[in-house]
Amino acid sequence: MPGIVIDGQALEAADGQTVMEAARAHGITIPALCWHPALSVDGSCRVCMVEVEGRGLAIACNLPVREGLAVLTDSEAVRAQRKLTLQFLTLNHPVDCGICDKAGECLLQDYHYAYNATPSVSNEPKLHATKHYSLGERIVLDNERCILCSRCVRFTREVSGSHVLGIEQRGDTSLIRPAAGRSLDEDPYSDNVIDLCPVGALLSRRFLHQSRVWYLTATPSICPGCARGCTVDVWHRRPDWQLQAVATHRNHAIARVTPRENPAVNGPWICNKGRDLADLLERLRALQPMVAGVPATLEEAMAAAREAIAAARHPLALVSTWGSNEELEAFKEHLGPLFTCRVKADHQRGPGEPGDDGLLIRADKNPNTSRARALFGEAPADTPGDTDLVLVWGEGFDGSTLPAGATTILLGSFEAPENVTAAVFIPLSILTERAGHYTNFEGVVSGFAPCFPAPATVTHAEELFPRLVPEGGRP
Amino acid sequence: MTPARVLMNFEVTATSHTLEAYRARGGYQALEKALRTLKPEDVTQMIMESGLQGRGGAAFPAGRKWQGIDPYDGQPHYLVANADEGEPGTFKDRWVLEYSPHTLLESMAIAAYSLGARHNFIYIRGEYDLPYRRLAAAVEEAYGAGLLGENILGSGFATDIFVFRGAGAYVCGEASSLLGSIEGSRAYPRNRPPRMTVSGLFGRPTVVNNVETLSTIAWIVDHGAAAFRAIGTPTSPGTRLLSVSGHVRRPGVYEVELGYAWGRFLHEDCGGIPGDRPLKAVIPGGISSQVLTGKDAKVLTADEMEGLTLDHDVLRKAGSSLGSGGMIVIAEGTCMVRLLQIMLRFYHHESCGQCTPCREGTGWMHRIIDRIVAGDGRPEDLERLYTIARANDGTTICGLGDAAGYATVAMLDNFGDEFAYFVEHKRSRHQGNIECPAS
Repeated sequence: MPGIVIDGQALEAADGQTVMEAARAHGITIPALCWHPALSVDGSCRVCMVEVEGRGLAIACNLPVREGLAVLTDSEAVRAQRKLTLQFLTLNHPVDCGICDKAGECLLQDYHYAYNATPSVSNEPKLHATKHYSLGERIVLDNERCILCSRCVRFTREVSGSHVLGIEQRGDTSLIRPAAGRSLDEDPYSDNVIDLCPVGALLSRRFLHQSRVWYLTATPSICPGCARGCTVDVWHRRPDWQLQAVATHRNHAIARVTPRENPAVNGPWICNKGRDLADLLERLRALQPMVAGVPATLEEAMAAAREAIAAARHPLALVSTWGSNEELEAFKEHLGPLFTCRVKADHQRGPGEPGDDGLLIRADKNPNTSRARALFGEAPADTPGDTDLVLVWGEGFDGSTLPAGATTILLGSFEAPENVTAAVFIPLSILTERAGHYTNFEGVVSGFAPCFPAPATVTHAEELFPRLVPEGGRP
Repeated sequence: MTPARVLMNFEVTATSHTLEAYRARGGYQALEKALRTLKPEDVTQMIMESGLQGRGGAAFPAGRKWQGIDPYDGQPHYLVANADEGEPGTFKDRWVLEYSPHTLLESMAIAAYSLGARHNFIYIRGEYDLPYRRLAAAVEEAYGAGLLGENILGSGFATDIFVFRGAGAYVCGEASSLLGSIEGSRAYPRNRPPRMTVSGLFGRPTVVNNVETLSTIAWIVDHGAAAFRAIGTPTSPGTRLLSVSGHVRRPGVYEVELGYAWGRFLHEDCGGIPGDRPLKAVIPGGISSQVLTGKDAKVLTADEMEGLTLDHDVLRKAGSSLGSGGMIVIAEGTCMVRLLQIMLRFYHHESCGQCTPCREGTGWMHRIIDRIVAGDGRPEDLERLYTIARANDGTTICGLGDAAGYATVAMLDNFGDEFAYFVEHKRSRHQGNIECPAS
């Protein structure tokens, strides 16, 4: 445990740490562009330059701690060098923050104002490079904004392992490029490079020019895309910046999804499926309660459901693996005694979708199988022949397995043909409209919060279940 | 010419580079001596005692570098000969590679024995065609004669030498970058720590030595450390190969004993300056000496240079160094602004682009000097060049950034008035001349 001194503050560092790591562990910020805690040391941006007392300047990210080491992070020499380094970084950077998606969360922008704050002293014309280079279906690259920190390159080599990105040419004409014949689309984790990029060089096509980031706010949530249950931030329009007239649907739409760093689950990453949560959650919603395909009020639908449950002799419940811990527990408590309960996989692995890949992605494409199985057992979700009522909660029910003469009660969120043919259909809220917890495949419980208000006609499953119990229970 | 010779101690003929000729002049005796009578650590100790300094530019004691490696620690070690002689003005190693490749091979075998290196590489720059062919032929000859490979000279010691051709990037002359090139990755210089003797080629302890440094080993083992110490000066023992170019009557590669008088070397050995023009400046050791060091690219003016001796210490005290031994002589009447333009174009073109100050700074300086030469200079440009150059001082991963900065600062320091003249009058004081006609 070497004792070091940073800016006069004595602190204990761990063996093998660098000054950068020791400083961050003690809440001291040393600016850096190429350095990232989850990637190897590159030492190329030279922004994290600190002064080693008596020895001159050195980069903090590659400076091992040793007993008695004393560094200054804000000395005269450090400030002067940092300022010059930022002059260098912006020398050929287009400074087109006005049209850059990264503006507002750009490290270069922040550091410029914090440590440079003077216009460029250069009289030379800026070098130009590819302004719009396609890295595939998901990402575009602006080489003029790129500061060659190589975070994206190191990510594809050290984390995702796809080795797609590299650097071509040299000097100030160096370019980030995919390897010959390869595409970043091959990499199911590719979008992480967008977050990693400290500037606006790597841009999400999905988010391109969709919103300024300061109009958005992030709500902690969980990606329901697989059993990993990565914690994410769902970005949506801030309440105080709601659109009033045009495109008001955007007020309640997911603008983008980013990882919410969580060492217990996903670290700082998520996969591309998590980026596309809108594809999962913003499908055509079922909003209308129905009794035998005829629109009804929620009260009418619930009454019809209670009636059907009370009358059934061999009722079966197919429990959703997309339900939260709270909802599953509520189901167990209120409806569990009335039904034979089976756990149903709401979503199956799609064609071409990756299975267990050793990094994050799991073959089970449901977020809460773990808790559902703990409550309702491992039995397969097939329908016994004598079943006369099936209560289906969530998606993934195959109507063709229904025994002749049996009826269904459907509790779902999205439009589906079965909704109309069911005896009763009751619409439920979705992930972004309620709070709750998921238990991932390793037993880690994470929470999600509502981003948007639920539509008036839908109900939360947790509140619905007690109200489906027939008066006096089932005979 | 000084009498003491370590490397250029034979008459160059059409066949003097062959194994037969090399053996006829006593070649591979040192290897035999080392394998039969010395332990690996004895060789290192001998090199340490000889005071041999690196000839690539940094003049770092070779023995001290070797001591960074424990030949008995059980892991693979590598020895790499840096023959990527890319420093402008430097072509001394080429002489060894072309005319005495076996000196290098014998020395490398001895060094490999001392360092416990089973595999060795010679990284030769791609532009060196004849040197490559001579070297490759020499390796074949040595293997054929049992001087490399398994069970060398019946001693049981085995070592292999691979000749690796570079693709012509200046930055590959930087030792760590060179290792990346051999590994097949992008030739980017690496951050220190770790030192290469801790983690070098393929993550293993590695010694990278200049060709001339290595080639001296055989002579030292053959004649003893004391004999080597007897040559040169107490602080800079031995001889150096100097490649002289520029405005001299007899450019070429010379071997001089360290401590030799500079004036005598220029006027007698090199034949003086064509047309007997006065001397304006000298770049004593390659325009940046070596990517490794940086602090060496200083240009010396004529006044500074007369009376100096060719000696690492003396030149260091004079604010420059012998660097890579690539001496460029500049006669009076040469436009230093154009000269700096050429140098900066080089640094800009060769910057690898990894770290910020060099990637952006070399290009920035190049564009400024281009503008000055185009007659569009501004009064603030010189101050700006100083600022950019100093921002590169000690802030980059390798020495290339430093070197570009030092070259610029030295030129501006010594010839600031010429630059100011160019900016003010929008033309060169010397008509942009960089030639020196003989008449």
